[in-house]
Formats: sequence, structure tokens, C-alpha cells
Amino acid sequence: MQIQSILKMSPGCRLHPTQDVLLIPEGTLRLSGPSREVLMRIDGQRDVNAIVEDLLLQFSDANPDEVRRDVLTLLDRLEQRGVIKA
Amino acid sequence: MSEPIQALPPPLSLIAELTHRCPLHCLYCSNPIELQRAEDELSTEVWQRVFQQAAELGILQLHLTGGEPLARKDLPELISAARAAGLYVNMITSGIGLAEDRLRALLDAGLDHLQLSFQDIEEISANHIAGTRAHAIKLALAPVLKKYPLAFTINLVVHRMNLDRLASFIELAEDLEPDRLEIAHVQYYGWALKNRSLLMPTEDQVQRSLPIVEAAKVRLKGKIHVESVFPDYFGSFPKACVGGWGRQTMLIDPSGTALPCHSAAVIPGLSFDNVRDHDLAWIWNNSPAFERFRGDAWMPETCLACPRKERDFGGCHCQAFMLTGDANAMDPVCSYSPHHSMLQLLRQPSSETFPIWRSS
Repeated sequence: MQIQSILKMSPGCRLHPTQDVLLIPEGTLRLSGPSREVLMRIDGQRDVNAIVEDLLLQFSDANPDEVRRDVLTLLDRLEQRGVIKA
Repeated sequence: MSEPIQALPPPLSLIAELTHRCPLHCLYCSNPIELQRAEDELSTEVWQRVFQQAAELGILQLHLTGGEPLARKDLPELISAARAAGLYVNMITSGIGLAEDRLRALLDAGLDHLQLSFQDIEEISANHIAGTRAHAIKLALAPVLKKYPLAFTINLVVHRMNLDRLASFIELAEDLEPDRLEIAHVQYYGWALKNRSLLMPTEDQVQRSLPIVEAAKVRLKGKIHVESVFPDYFGSFPKACVGGWGRQTMLIDPSGTALPCHSAAVIPGLSFDNVRDHDLAWIWNNSPAFERFRGDAWMPETCLACPRKERDFGGCHCQAFMLTGDANAMDPVCSYSPHHSMLQLLRQPSSETFPIWRSS
């Protein structure tokens, strides 16, 4: 996972329309904290950096370095799980 | 008047057995010995109502299964009703009868995921196990699936007849590029119990298969998500069957009977309710069959005192009943069960068994 990676959701994976849950084949992943805010921004066009910039507009008090690190950690984990693809 | 107590968390998944009709006659079929007849199947309207109620109850995942779901002509209408209600729609299919235009109709209706099982790597053996000529059709379907934005799982059902070929079986699955791969040992329920001594792997086969599965998980990480189902007759502790009785799962059979699991009807004395008479929330909260093994009131003292009870919820009641004659007994898979030693006998493969297929 790179800061310039452009991400998309894997087939069969989508956010629940209202609940903090990611629906995946044969399972569900409960989303904690701002994970949903991150996943909502994965559209197959924006790279990780653009997602972080956009998040910082919404969470203006947050430390940009921490947000970048947390987002990369989350996305790495989801990529390993096959839920998103770079 | 006070409000009814809503202490129960909602179930996560609904298994909808749309029909028991099936072009396959797998030796390990988990459906009951006595199948529901086509004329007793629920109508389109009742299933659509059930899916709406499921979403309102908080259910997230719908598993359309059978039999073969494709035997239902109204499948696109059922899928679109489920998606409109907000459910994630998975279909477990043999692929028989899934021409490309039909697949497109199911995708347009909102199908999220499809699961296709394979019986063996070699055609003759695969067709023998499936009781019909299905292998070539399944192989031809996988590349068609890849053309569409649909996730699919390949399920390799393993047992004594094919376990020696597991490594190449996994390679076959890999070549078909699924999103997920399940390697599932046969579980001895329903029809499969009739063929248990034929399907039972040897201890040696099981031991050799475990590192092959683990290696595949590591090798395919990030590419294909691999999950495996352990053969529980070889275990020391029971599985958390269906995530615990009446805790996560609800199954509706083709005629509308609501069951806590695939096989619950084998347990004598349970009283089941039907979706024609009650809504799902009522059934989940009030049906005596769902209440029967909830919590720990039913547990023998050994289970009550055991710290694992929060993890496996006492194992599988159907298995306890089928093996000991008592559904209140501990699951014999548990090494603390007084019946655990019987598994050693049942693990002995018999050389004098013949396959038994369902008559079609």
C-alpha cells in the first residue's frame, strides 16, 4: 500500500447503507471509529493521499501525520483481507 | 401493560432453502433425508415478505440455497426483493442451468456473491460424487463469472475419496481465480450420515491435509481469501455450531418452517413455527425450538463449569442426538464428553461400504 495507490472495493464488498458494517462475501466486518468515513471515500479514482486530504477537511483538529498513518494501517489490513484492491 | 422484553440480539444471517429440488445427488448432501415437495414450496410473495421482515429484524446476510436455487423460476424477483429490503444476497449453487443471460438477470436483480462447489479434480470421480454429470458445466461457468463484477467463492468439499488429491484440487480452484476459497470437510448430517463410513477420511489423510491448507492460506494471502472447515470427528473440542443455537442464524425450509439450523428437525420433541403463521421477529423471540438450547440452562454440569462454553456454546445438539440418542448430552466431539471415545470407532474407515445416492 502506497500513499499514491488508487483503491477500489473488491467485488462483493459494500458498505451497509445505514449501519457501521462492511458487507463481504459470507461475512460482515464491524467498523469502528472513523473506518466508515475512510471506506466511503474509496471510489476507484482517488489515491490514498487524496482520501487523507479529504478526511482532514472533515476532521480539521486531527494531526495530519497520525491520520495518514492510521488510514494506511487500516487500508493495509483491508487489502490483506481482500476487501479492497490497489 | 409493559413492553415485551427485547433482550435477544437479532440474528446475523438468514438461510433460505428455496427448494429441495436439485439436479445433483451428492453423496454428502446435508439436506434432510425426507425432502420437502415442490407443491409445498413457499410462493414468491411469501418469500418476499420474509426477506422484508428479515431486514427489519436486523439480519444482514441472506443465503439463498436449496436444493438448487436456480430451480425457482422467480429467482430474479426474490433477489431484487431481498436487495430492496437491504440484505446482502449470496447464492449457493451447482451452476447447473445458469446460462449467461440468466446470470445477467440475477446480477441486474442485485446478486452480491455466488458460491460454487467442486466435488473432485477428475471428472469421473467428481460426477460419481455428485451423482450426475456436473463437473464440466461447473468448470465452464467459472470463466463466465469472471466477466462480471460479482464475487464468487469456490468450495472444495473434501473427504476420503478426494483428500489425497487436495494439493492439485487447490491448484484447480486457484486457476479459476475465485475471490474466496473454502476447503470444507464433509459434516455428517442429513443424507451425508448415510455415507459416513464411505466418506470418513483416514487419520493419516487428515494429518497430511492440514499443512497443505495452511500453506495455501499463506501463499494466497491478499489474492484469494482461504477458509477451512475442520473435520470435527478428529477434534478435541466441538465447533460453535451455527454460531450457537438461536444466536446468529435462522433457516427457513422450502415449506416455510423456521429452524435454528439445517438439521434441527432430527431432534425429537422440538416444536417449530412457520413463516406462513408468524413473522420472523415473533419466531426469533418466541418459537420454542429456538429457545430450547439458548443460554446454559440445558447444559450438563461439565459444560456449565467449562470456560469454553462462551466460545462453543456446548457444540452441536443434532450431533449429540445422532451419536448418543440424547440431544441434551455433550457433543461427543468434546474430549470431556463421556462418549468421546466412540469417535475413535467411527473414524475407522470401512473398506466394505458402497455409495448411497438419493433416488431422483
